[in-house]
Amino acid sequence: MSTTAVESPKRVTGLAKGASPGIRGRARFAVPTTPRPLIPGSACADRSPMGELALSIEQRGGRSVATHQYHRGALRVLRPHYLDDSGQVCYVVVNPGGAYLGADLFLVDVEVQAGADLLLTTQSATKVYRTPGSFAEQRMAIRLGEGARLELVPDQLIAYREASYRQRTHVTVRPSSSLVMAEVVTPGWSPDGAAFRYEEVRLRNEIHVETEGDSQLLALDNLLIRPPLGDVTGLGFMEGYSHLGSLVVVDPRVDQALADDLHSVTSENDALTGISITRSAAGTTGLVLRSLSNSTGELNRLLGACTALLRKRWYGQEPLNLRKH
Amino acid sequence: MSYQLALQQLVDSALPTGAFAHSLGFETYVDAGVVADEVGFGRWLAAFISQQLTYSDGLAIRFLYEGWDIGELDSLLSASLLPREVREASFKMGLRLLEIGAEVFPSHGLGLYRDLVATGRAAGHQPLAFAVVASSLGVPMEEALAAYLFAAATSLTQNAVRAIPLGQNAGQRLLRQAADDVAAAVERIPRLSPDDFGAVSPGLEISQMRHERQRARMFMS
Repeated sequence: MSTTAVESPKRVTGLAKGASPGIRGRARFAVPTTPRPLIPGSACADRSPMGELALSIEQRGGRSVATHQYHRGALRVLRPHYLDDSGQVCYVVVNPGGAYLGADLFLVDVEVQAGADLLLTTQSATKVYRTPGSFAEQRMAIRLGEGARLELVPDQLIAYREASYRQRTHVTVRPSSSLVMAEVVTPGWSPDGAAFRYEEVRLRNEIHVETEGDSQLLALDNLLIRPPLGDVTGLGFMEGYSHLGSLVVVDPRVDQALADDLHSVTSENDALTGISITRSAAGTTGLVLRSLSNSTGELNRLLGACTALLRKRWYGQEPLNLRKH
Repeated sequence: MSYQLALQQLVDSALPTGAFAHSLGFETYVDAGVVADEVGFGRWLAAFISQQLTYSDGLAIRFLYEGWDIGELDSLLSASLLPREVREASFKMGLRLLEIGAEVFPSHGLGLYRDLVATGRAAGHQPLAFAVVASSLGVPMEEALAAYLFAAATSLTQNAVRAIPLGQNAGQRLLRQAADDVAAAVERIPRLSPDDFGAVSPGLEISQMRHERQRARMFMS
């Protein structure tokens, strides 16, 4: 049963137009959200997107529903479902093309309004194939209202030989919002069996906390892996591992004790993991977990154990079981 | 010649900023037995210079020289230094540098930055405190970058000489090698884009985070 009201298609602005939500009123912002292409004439900011998706979630009668939904091109969502009786709505993003290629641009715009609760995942891994002379890019704008919650748990990103990929996620939360973002990056194996044949993977998360009349940058999480430059597998870089897992949590309930509890959860796992809390801003705090491993399964178990702790402690929910595989 | 002696004082390892108390993550490798000798520390230092010192400290100094707003840069550093101990190290050493700077190299710009810190609008990060003083002394950007990066490499090497431990001559050989990495970084920093700011390599960051939970330790970070 779906109560989704789908409005007529409407162009969605946001990062797509180079706007930077959440930094209004600032004379200048140091890092522009409109990317500057490093190689002139390659992919550029105003190329037309290969796929667009916009979703706005509201709380209606005890559960969360989409009140605005738009998609165009190679991105869409499956019918929403409810995995438990918490009212949290689950949307699954589908890329019918199955892969990202050179110069492809994908735009995703998600708004979770006050008190609403969204679980957003993908149907399958995001695969980035060869992007000669260019890069595939996903730009995501996320806005969470007061008391709104988003769990963003996509499948792993697989970057194949000669792939360049940039993922830019711009998040604006309110002090009482709750955000959980998990990510796994894996190298696709090249025909000669060697890993790390991709050119570059950049995952840039910018998280702002917005209050009345002010906006503060809480966390800038900027991961850059560029295998052709030097010893990417070695000390200080991937430490001999091939897979990277990352978890970002922003919630007013985040504190050092939570970081310690999550550390206990991860210490049972063989992955090399670090956890730290971010600065605090407007009464909320972030937590970042970074983990290296040689398998997607191990990282998914580790991130799953962490999100399970948060779901149980904060919402009394069972561990996430998406039954996709 | 006008700024040479001032710059030497500013980057001298005797400048009491507390750099002797920070490993910025290398102690985690020492504790794990991954860095145990001159070669091992040299690999860590090369990675640290080409990554963290380039994308965070180095870019922050460049952007300040290019006229970016110091409050925004301070906020960007606080937000992008995700490992708590490294973030705290940056403003602990930065605050000391601001105090010392106010006594020996006062300037209008330094006064403004100190005001932002005193009123809670900025944390007071080390590379920005350095850049404010260096630019007020008329040090050109490339020289300021080279001096800052090499001073950071020198403190860390001195700390490694004590902690691993390494011989004094090994320390000098490491610094000679670090000079090449610093030169390469100074050449690269002007070519990076604003999007590169705060880019981290996972290994360095994880070791900095894991240091928080290390039992026996000599360093605060």
